[in-house]
Amino acid sequence: MLAFIIRRVGQSILVLLIVGLVAFSMFRFVGDPIDNMLGQERTMEDVERLRAQLGLDQPFPVQYYRFLEGAMQGNLGVSYRQGREVSEIILERAPATLELAAVSGILAIVFGIALGVFTAIRRNGVAAHVIMATSLIGVSLPTFLIGILLIYLFSVELGWLPSFGRGEVTRIGETWTTGFLTESGLKALILPSITLGLYQMTLIMRLVRSEMLEVLRQDYIRFARARGLKDRVVNFRHALKNTMVPVVTVIGLQLGAIIAFAIITETVFQWPGVGLLFINAIQFVDIPVMAAYLMLISVMFVGINLIVDILYVFIDPRLRIERTGGH
Amino acid sequence: MRPILPLFLAGAVVAGAATAEEFRWAGQTDPQTMDPHAVSSAPVLGFLNNIYDGLVRMSKDMTLEPSLAESWDPIGEGEGWRFILRQGVTFHDGATFDADDVLFAYERASDESSDVRSWFSPVKEFRVVDDYTVEIYTNAPNPLFPASIANWMMMDRGWAEANNAERPDKENGNYATLNANGTGAFMIEDRQPGLTTTLVPNPDWWDEAEHNITRATFTPIQNPATAVAALLSGDVDFVEPVPIQDAARLESTDGVEVIRGVETRSIMLGFSHEADTLKYGASAGAPNPFQDVRVREAVAKAINVDAILQTIWRGNAQPASQLVPPQLSGYSAANDARPAYDPDGARALLAEAGYGEGFGFGLMCPNDRYPNDEAVCQAIVAMLAQIGIDAELNAMPVSNYWPELRADNFDMYLIGWSPGGSLDHEHPLRFLASTPNEEKRLGSWNFGGYSNARLDELLPSILSEIDLAKRQALLDEVTSIYQSEVAYVPLYVQPLTWGVRDNIELTQRPDNFFILRWVTVN
Repeated sequence: MLAFIIRRVGQSILVLLIVGLVAFSMFRFVGDPIDNMLGQERTMEDVERLRAQLGLDQPFPVQYYRFLEGAMQGNLGVSYRQGREVSEIILERAPATLELAAVSGILAIVFGIALGVFTAIRRNGVAAHVIMATSLIGVSLPTFLIGILLIYLFSVELGWLPSFGRGEVTRIGETWTTGFLTESGLKALILPSITLGLYQMTLIMRLVRSEMLEVLRQDYIRFARARGLKDRVVNFRHALKNTMVPVVTVIGLQLGAIIAFAIITETVFQWPGVGLLFINAIQFVDIPVMAAYLMLISVMFVGINLIVDILYVFIDPRLRIERTGGH
Repeated sequence: MRPILPLFLAGAVVAGAATAEEFRWAGQTDPQTMDPHAVSSAPVLGFLNNIYDGLVRMSKDMTLEPSLAESWDPIGEGEGWRFILRQGVTFHDGATFDADDVLFAYERASDESSDVRSWFSPVKEFRVVDDYTVEIYTNAPNPLFPASIANWMMMDRGWAEANNAERPDKENGNYATLNANGTGAFMIEDRQPGLTTTLVPNPDWWDEAEHNITRATFTPIQNPATAVAALLSGDVDFVEPVPIQDAARLESTDGVEVIRGVETRSIMLGFSHEADTLKYGASAGAPNPFQDVRVREAVAKAINVDAILQTIWRGNAQPASQLVPPQLSGYSAANDARPAYDPDGARALLAEAGYGEGFGFGLMCPNDRYPNDEAVCQAIVAMLAQIGIDAELNAMPVSNYWPELRADNFDMYLIGWSPGGSLDHEHPLRFLASTPNEEKRLGSWNFGGYSNARLDELLPSILSEIDLAKRQALLDEVTSIYQSEVAYVPLYVQPLTWGVRDNIELTQRPDNFFILRWVTVN
């Protein structure tokens, strides 16, 4: 068992190192940050001096090595654009993304499961057909368009909700800021979290529906009904419970996706999170910020996968036997 | 404007009445630093003009006016300039402004770590005469020097030293990157880089306040559609820029106005003058036809600028004949005409030059640097095809674009120029038309390597001539040189489109600086 975990951790680190290497080999194609850092009255000499100072004259494996060296000591470098520690900037931006992701995730789970169950139980009802048809929008319309449509409807036409930003935030402790405690902060969360969560919601809804339909066909459900149990008990205590196993797995994996794909939503709503930071970094060719963001996201994905893998081993004893039996 | 000041003072006394004059605005770029000497870019200098003052400043119509210097006069026969400083001015932290701070700002801004040090390359010596008089000596007579330092902002020596920010540090940042202590009309109340910056009026400002703002909040909004929506929904009072395709719609919307103007930026085509062979397209490797002035002239005649302005710019831009737009100083009125659209003439010129069969080449173009840049290049490709030359368009983000141009990877390219600093015709002459010379800091953006001995010879006299009529005669001569040699093909002057709520009055300055102290909220 321990050997298995060690091997998986080792593989995860290898994946991270390769992601970093690929990222650094790509940065050259994003462009040259020097022109963004120097004004129009720069000379070629200034250009060369700054390039050498930033180590950009070195081949990319050297740049990557230097980044790793710093990262090992907890130093992610200094942003080219802002001239501040990258770790400080990311800590400052992370609460916005995490709060948005959390609210979107909860919306997606609650509404996804509720609507999934509803459309499964009333699968021939008019309402279920309407919901299924409109859910196609959630899957097929690009996030960008949904965001803009929501802004035009609820901010420009109706004037109910703010069109951009996070509203007023409250500071908690050293680094955390929250929008949960003010009215404007809560209002500002509504449109972006719907935009971000819509895809996941439809995904969960469709998954719950099909799993539920599958389960409802099973014999034990028929027997339960034959025993004269109430519909509510059959649907929720017996059917839904057995539906949840694959749903929970998917939700776990989608959690990472919500954070990683917040980039587009954050751009549309000028949401001050790490996704927006990343987009700005690409435009400016702010290599330290891009590198740190990509590494963080891959750490997150690799971490989630690692945990899931290890959990599987605990949950499914057959895997454990196979693994230990290999010795 | 007059009644506003008493009203504003009354508002400050009666608590609660102040909220009415909150002003929120959005721009595309967050100023990346609050250090006025660290980055020489329009978003930074424009923003900091609200917080810091210079010795001189630009008025609403871009004329020079006194700021922290009450007056300035040439020394002797043009050896330099003497500035008499304003007395009784304090920085936001209460420290007194005097000649030592000017000396400090000079040391700081002309240091190697400064991005604005080229403004001081003509300076030979800086002398503090007394607490309120400084003398700046130049290597040669320099009539434009006061105008060229309009964005040179004064910083308190004591504040900078106490916070270890004696020199700008753009690579690692320092205290002045995030904090500011100027003498300007506004002070920073709160700054969250990339998110919001909140400014409040400086109660002890030395000048009379024209605005009635009690608090101003700036938010960068990158996505133009979001910015327009924010303006329409009233979440912000002012956005710049407004995408040209949204301008007409905004104008027809109640409660919102579009303010149009011309910017100081001219957009033009550049050629590879130096290269012996073409690098791209069907004729790659063949001798470079753009070395022949007839071919360059044919290109100029083949481009229908009016059509570009009508279709792509929807009538919002004006054609350009020179490297600077007409409203800037030094513009040559004598050379006002731009080559007429004449495809037959262009074909005849090509035939005469021996390219009657046409040729293929590469056109480099940025796709996120100037508004509509790629669309303009596409139109140019189509127009050049009409005279039988095939441009292979290579459009890319600006972060990739300048490195390509620096590496001479082009046959023809698109470039825009806004004369920062002096806002005079001499500026693009120095950077775009002069023969590249690293030592003299000349021609650093002349990627094509255009070179004309007479132009190079006249440039120093243009820089040092004090007699305005003689200076203009020199500029006229230089303009006719680069026009007749078709060093560049000037296309149009970029327009400015700002969107405001209609209860806001403000002034649009051609350098695209947004000056907060000219804003009135009704």
